Amino acid sequence: MIEVDGLRKEYGSLTAVDGVSFIAEGSAIFGLLGPNGAGKSTTIGCISGLLQPTAGRVRVMGHDVTTEGRQARACLGVVPQELALYEDLSAAENLLYWGSAYGMKGGELRRRIDEVLELAGLLDRAKEPVKRFSGGMKRRLNFACGIVHRPQVLLLDEPTVGVDPQSRVRLLDLVREQAAAGTCVLYTTHYMEEAETLCDRLAVIDHGKVIALGSLAELRAMIGERDVLRLAGTFQPEAVIEALRPLESLEVVQADEDALLLTLEQASRRLPEIFSALTGAGAEVRETTMTQPSLESLFIKITGRELRE
Amino acid sequence: MSFIWSSALKDLRRRLRDPLGLLLGAGIPLVTLALISLAFGGSGGVQPQAHLLVTDEDDSFGSNLLLGAFGQGPATELVLVEEVERDEGRARIEAGEASGWLLIPAGFGQAVLEEDPVTLTLVTNPAQTILPGILEEFLSVLVDAVFYLQRLLGDPLEEIAAGPEEGENTLPDQTVAEISITVNQLIERASTYLFPPVLALESGVDSEEGETDFNLGALFFPGMFFMAVLFLAQGFSGDVWEEKLHGTLQRVITTPAEVAGFLAGKLLAAAVVFAALSVLVFLAGSWLYDLPLSRLPLAVVWSSLSGLMFLVLFSLIHLYAGSQTTGNIMTSAITFPLLMAGGSFFPFEIMPDWLASVGRWTPNGWALEQLKAILAGKMDMGSLTVAFLGMAVLGVVAFVLSARRLRRGFALA
Repeated sequence: MIEVDGLRKEYGSLTAVDGVSFIAEGSAIFGLLGPNGAGKSTTIGCISGLLQPTAGRVRVMGHDVTTEGRQARACLGVVPQELALYEDLSAAENLLYWGSAYGMKGGELRRRIDEVLELAGLLDRAKEPVKRFSGGMKRRLNFACGIVHRPQVLLLDEPTVGVDPQSRVRLLDLVREQAAAGTCVLYTTHYMEEAETLCDRLAVIDHGKVIALGSLAELRAMIGERDVLRLAGTFQPEAVIEALRPLESLEVVQADEDALLLTLEQASRRLPEIFSALTGAGAEVRETTMTQPSLESLFIKITGRELRE
Repeated sequence: MSFIWSSALKDLRRRLRDPLGLLLGAGIPLVTLALISLAFGGSGGVQPQAHLLVTDEDDSFGSNLLLGAFGQGPATELVLVEEVERDEGRARIEAGEASGWLLIPAGFGQAVLEEDPVTLTLVTNPAQTILPGILEEFLSVLVDAVFYLQRLLGDPLEEIAAGPEEGENTLPDQTVAEISITVNQLIERASTYLFPPVLALESGVDSEEGETDFNLGALFFPGMFFMAVLFLAQGFSGDVWEEKLHGTLQRVITTPAEVAGFLAGKLLAAAVVFAALSVLVFLAGSWLYDLPLSRLPLAVVWSSLSGLMFLVLFSLIHLYAGSQTTGNIMTSAITFPLLMAGGSFFPFEIMPDWLASVGRWTPNGWALEQLKAILAGKMDMGSLTVAFLGMAVLGVVAFVLSARRLRRGFALA
């Protein structure tokens, strides 16, 4: 279990994480979803002991990462965003080293190395130097190094960035297997689809703050069945907002002179009345984009921005 | 402890898979040593000798005296004289077959005795630079010598040159006696200058039992070996950047293992390399320079410890450098002056005294002096203990500072 309470991390005048709180339970995958620079990796860094929190409290399996750092780290497995491998060594030698860093040794470690190599699909390449591996194979080995010691808590920092589709599927399966085996998995990503298909619970994070938190079902309920309608053209924001106000269950998320962002139910059926109201407000629409309800919709609804912006 | 071993094993494996790095670090100084030995040592080469063609058209007592001088003392090693006819001499010098051609004209001996002007012609080979110069200098000295000989012994020489009277085979006894008396008196007068009191000075250093005298190769040997140690230490020290840039340092920090253990593993791996290098080099040194094998274990320990001290000091510099490039530049900027002043490029024994005394206070200069003392069997237990303690204190302080910097500032900067 990971308990994060009021976590804050400052770099001089920059606040990278601002009062983040959540609880990630065992046998489940907790997702931290947010755009690049939202504070996901900083949060992971504070949990893993790599960074010293400015304020707040983080506990891993009941151990405070600041005062009981060693015990907390002993429960953790970390799969960093960037590869952290010795390319001159073989896959087995890498696992041997990282296993020893967690106090494993002897026959137990050897057996476990074979197990994780099998899991990662690298058993037949165990003795080959890592520098000869493809990018996907290195990613899988990077993951294997994080689970060689059977951690109770697994931190995964965007492990599928830059991975080919085949390796990505394999990696996501591995993550699910870990959770199914009872591990508490904290998974950060900016891929909305990944979060939707993988995570049991989610925290949506932006500018260092949690802006939405709950299970996938709870978050979907927050969005409702609302579509996102994005219009490009020429608008008079005040006039447009006034013209759209009478339309039932329509919400103007953002109104600029060249763009309009709306959320509403069954948008496709209601396009005629929307265009009619906009024409009446002197607007000229050149492009219309409609998005089905998703976490992206939620992010847009809350922040007014797309997840990948 | 097990993490230290596994870290050391990991680094040893990495080192062994990059043998070129090891070879370059250790090999450059050893190649340099070989070059120095070739440049300053070695007597196997053929000594250059000027080949002088001589045409003696005088064939007198004077010309024979001049030519005889080429066959005296060190001149025989410098000049090979070959008598030739005028045409052959001219042809061969034009063909570049000799360093010079000396033409002694007819009447040379008589001219010398009568103090008349006379010209000796020396034609040198323009294709050669040094050997004809030797001939010119040597001939110039001989001409001066002949001049002074004539001044001092002109009369007796004239009588000798005139030879016996017609019908006689030898000079009259009275003439020989007069010549002898004249020469004897001359030598007696000049004896104060020619024969100063003879003092035979034998210099040398008494060797105590068990001590070894160094020859030229042995003089350069410890310094060059220390250069290899310094190069390796400098190369190994940059590994903290490799660990950081590959993310493995950060990964270590997220484990329960201590960063100090990680650093200790690196030092242990380096110690194995230093020790292996020391054993190989000292065994070679023992074979080449007759170093007693009994001194090698202590020399190996000292060299390995010195290497570790340099490694941890260089690592500390890297840990405070803003980038890998800056770290490399800084350590290089320190290494090379240290090598210059610290007795590696130039042994203290051939340095100016003031520079040698400065160099002996550099870390590598100090360590090198201790190594030389160990190899020469001049180290007593007291100074040895102080040296080891000094090294240990410096190493431990640098290690603690490095581990602290590694844990926080460096890993996350």
